[in-house]
Amino acid sequence: MNTFAFWAKNFPQMLAGLGVSLQLAGLALLFGLPLGLLLALGTGSKLRPVRWLSIALVEIGRGAPALVVLYVVYFGLPLLQWTPEGFVCAVIGLTYTTAAYTSEYIRGGLKAVSPGSIEAAQALAMTPVDVLRFVIVPQGLRVAIPALMGFAIQIFQVTSLAYSITVSELTAVASGISSSSFRALEIFALAGLMYAAITIPASWLTNKVEERITLRQ
Amino acid sequence: MAETVEPGHYSGKRDIRTNAVNYVIELAAIEKAFAGHQVLKKVSLRVKEGEVCSIIGPSGAGKSTLLRCVNLLEQPDGGNMIIAGQYLEAGRSHSRRDLLTLRRNVGMVFQSFNLFPHMTVLDNIVLPQRRVLKCSEEQARTRGKELLERVGLADKADAYPAKISGGQQQRVAIARALALDPKVMLFDEPTSALDPELAQEVLAVMKEVAASGMTMLVVTHEMGFARTIGDHLVVMEDGAIIEQGVPEQVMSDPAEERTRKFLSAVNR
Repeated sequence: MNTFAFWAKNFPQMLAGLGVSLQLAGLALLFGLPLGLLLALGTGSKLRPVRWLSIALVEIGRGAPALVVLYVVYFGLPLLQWTPEGFVCAVIGLTYTTAAYTSEYIRGGLKAVSPGSIEAAQALAMTPVDVLRFVIVPQGLRVAIPALMGFAIQIFQVTSLAYSITVSELTAVASGISSSSFRALEIFALAGLMYAAITIPASWLTNKVEERITLRQ
Repeated sequence: MAETVEPGHYSGKRDIRTNAVNYVIELAAIEKAFAGHQVLKKVSLRVKEGEVCSIIGPSGAGKSTLLRCVNLLEQPDGGNMIIAGQYLEAGRSHSRRDLLTLRRNVGMVFQSFNLFPHMTVLDNIVLPQRRVLKCSEEQARTRGKELLERVGLADKADAYPAKISGGQQQRVAIARALALDPKVMLFDEPTSALDPELAQEVLAVMKEVAASGMTMLVVTHEMGFARTIGDHLVVMEDGAIIEQGVPEQVMSDPAEERTRKFLSAVNR
């Protein structure tokens, strides 16, 4: 069986793995981005306990390798009398990593909001919550969008680590095929191509969006 | 009973029952220091209802700081004030409700326009109406379009601030402040960031606002505006008011040497 026939034969299985990888990344972003926003606001809070807790969560989340975070979740949760399957553990771990990293990008965006428009909103008798909701956050997120899209691409690649906690994502599927067929190089090459098929267009899109945002200003 | 008014001083609107002059702004001994530097030294000032009061003076005189104390964007260290009937004391922490009430009554226009860059011109005017006045979307849009018409920018409703000129942005900012029906409007060097031609279109709108009876406190370098539209002129220097009176009179025959020097520098 030549390489292409080998790829074709295993493609459906690999595609299912890619689906799991995309789900992991999608869920990590879905839950992680709002948490990242909360952490970004928390690190700027005037309340010292809130600020310190947020800073601690961000620093630990960024300091610990994603793989370590996954292991801690996977082996730690059972101690709390909860034994979710690997997929759930992976979503939890990747969500935390996402929240910690994106909070920094979002914080940078929030800092870039022009103080003038904040002052104008205050002078217009808008409440502090409204100023945050309608003036600071939308402007800050806009600034952070290119960096966040770049991170989304990274976290998609990081989902391959979920392999180590029994999740059948793309890398795990490739590894399984490799050990049963002994054609490791070919199957991992296919996996690499499939990752790239997602990340390369996503990078183009990021560049386009970045251009558009720069033009707007 | 006959009331006395300082000679030559614009008398403003009067209360029908008591025939007394209503003050919209009363500042008493307002003090403010930044990092040990005294920016305002017990400044007192009263602005009558319907009056256009211009503040002039060299940069660093404390004009903008004084203006920003009126709506508490800057917290004064000392003194007290009554703004649109609301008593506020310096050095006290003001409740959020007090702050919002104050700012509901006091509109402000900034030197750098400060529109919300991520919203269209119309949305800039709609948002505060929706959030502060709790208007319906439809009401707010109707009012917003009326105001844009009034400042001559009906055709720019859907443009983003970055796509219109500085003069147009400032006119939108005026419309945005007017949308909350303030009792007094503060203008902090509204034309200083504009070239003369664009400044004129902003001044024309301000003139129209003044003619509508709005009480206005204007920090400006536009002597023409202060002279022709202003009812009262205040000259500040080094954190204090050094001279005030009828604009024409102060400008043509200043009592203070410092005022004379400043005016001749500006008019050169």
